[in-house]
Amino acid sequence: MSVLSIKGLSKSFGKNKVINNISFDVPEGSVFGFIGANGAGKTTTMKMILGLLPADSGEIFVCGEKVSFGATKTNRYIGYLPDVPEFYGYMRPMEYLRLCGELIGLKSDEINDRSAELLKMVGLADVNKKIKGFSRGMKQRLGVAQALINKPKLLICDEPTSALDPMGRKDILDILHEIKGKTTVIFSTHILSDVERICDRLAVLHKSEIVLESTLSDLKLERKSRAIELEFEDEIDSEEVLRVLKDGNLFPKKCEAANVEMSLESLYLEVAK
Amino acid sequence: MANSLNTLVSFLPLIIPLAIIQFGLMIAALVHILKHDTYKTGNRLLWIIICICVNTIGPILYFVIGRGDE
Amino acid sequence: MIEFIAFTKKEYMESLRTYRLVTLAAVLLVFGILSPLTAALLPEILGAIDLGDGVVLTLPEPSAIDSWTQFFSNIGQMGMLAVIISFSGSMANEFSRGTLVNLLTKGMKRHVVILSKFFSASVLWTIGYALCLAVCYVYTAYYWPSDVITNAPFAFFSLWLFGEFLIAILIFSGTLFGSFYGALLSCFGAIVVMALLNISPAIQKFNPISLSGDTLALLSGHKEIADFFPAVIICVSAIVILIIASILVFNKKKV
Repeated sequence: MSVLSIKGLSKSFGKNKVINNISFDVPEGSVFGFIGANGAGKTTTMKMILGLLPADSGEIFVCGEKVSFGATKTNRYIGYLPDVPEFYGYMRPMEYLRLCGELIGLKSDEINDRSAELLKMVGLADVNKKIKGFSRGMKQRLGVAQALINKPKLLICDEPTSALDPMGRKDILDILHEIKGKTTVIFSTHILSDVERICDRLAVLHKSEIVLESTLSDLKLERKSRAIELEFEDEIDSEEVLRVLKDGNLFPKKCEAANVEMSLESLYLEVAK
Repeated sequence: MANSLNTLVSFLPLIIPLAIIQFGLMIAALVHILKHDTYKTGNRLLWIIICICVNTIGPILYFVIGRGDE
Repeated sequence: MIEFIAFTKKEYMESLRTYRLVTLAAVLLVFGILSPLTAALLPEILGAIDLGDGVVLTLPEPSAIDSWTQFFSNIGQMGMLAVIISFSGSMANEFSRGTLVNLLTKGMKRHVVILSKFFSASVLWTIGYALCLAVCYVYTAYYWPSDVITNAPFAFFSLWLFGEFLIAILIFSGTLFGSFYGALLSCFGAIVVMALLNISPAIQKFNPISLSGDTLALLSGHKEIADFFPAVIICVSAIVILIIASILVFNKKKV
């Protein structure tokens, strides 16, 4: 069953068509990567799913219920993590989760249990200072906790890692990895390595249209049968490799040399540990 | 003159609490200004001057629009 | 109702921790004390000024009515200014900082925000007003025990109602413009418009600002309580309309 299904959704701001007739389904239990460049319309789509923006045409269903602008009934199934979550700076994390819990009608001891559990999960269990003193990464982690307080069927994360340093990014990805399987996650980003790490399905939004929708394993399989990566012990000239290939009647579409150096990201993570 | 002084003394029950509240507000605002170094608007010197010179309204202006959050 | 209680609790925590409650109460208290003091000392101060050739201004002995005159002019001006400054950010800051997004996406109904904001601001204003009224009342009764003031309860009520009216304006303009200064300036704008309209005697009777400005005429007996009924009705309806309009605007607003 699809937790989220979008049918023929369009949205314009003035003459600028931001979303043009997109459709996709997110099956239950998946981690869905929603990929697109900055300004491709990811946030707009998410806000429409949440009923924060009216759609021009098309329909959105969350757990089978139709989303309508303003009336946020379907939001009880959804947990939302905005790209830059904003909190009341004068509250402590526990107090903020209490407010969220009370708003959705949880009982007091339920709130205590769930808040403690969530704060532990996001690594804020021992933090008792006011939110105004939080770093970007801590706010993002508290954002995940508040989004999960209603045990949502669908967690929507809008660029959860873009504004963070590599350590913060790793923390968020680890947390999302942990909830994988318990909750369906939609995760918008322009950072492809993040998608590779945690998503099992993905859709690419480009120039207001969905240009690719697939599972990650299908994509990888497709690539595997067409691409090969070679690594040699000694220094080698790519011309030489190409010549050998040509002799064997193989004509590669693309040849790239010197991709063996350690990626900056993994290097940083190693020294920052 | 002695008459004026007597009047003044008879109004001490008014003057003393008034002075306490006004000074309290001013001191609270000044302490807050000196303990924090970021402000939503203005800068430290400006707020110190406002809190000292603008009686009563000065400190609340600081707490509402001057006090920084982060 | 659950949402209303939860959000209202948040409003009080906010008032407490952002110093809104304590500054508003302190300012109103100051004017509560200052009013009888000014009334008592004004003749002394003016009497000490030598206008030249030994001519000295003499005012009659101060009385309770002078104290209340000071009270109504202080609270009507500086007190209202304090209310405006304190509550301008109440709605506006939620928008400019984006703090409502998390709560609304949890399914909180939008009208709850408006009603809770109006309710909690009203309670703060009522507490502050009651405080300064009580202080001024006690001092006035202490220094001028024998004086009797006519129509006092209604005059107190009408100034309080005007404060509520300002709060409703601030919530509406805060929702509409979503910025602190937008709320502040439109509230000042509304007061200026009402003050200008008050020049015309025909409108005066219906003008909410007369609830604040004309209370002195009520105390001195130049006006009857009944003269204020049209303004009270207009004011109460305006509050209801402003709150409903805030909800409608907010429902259409993108957060």
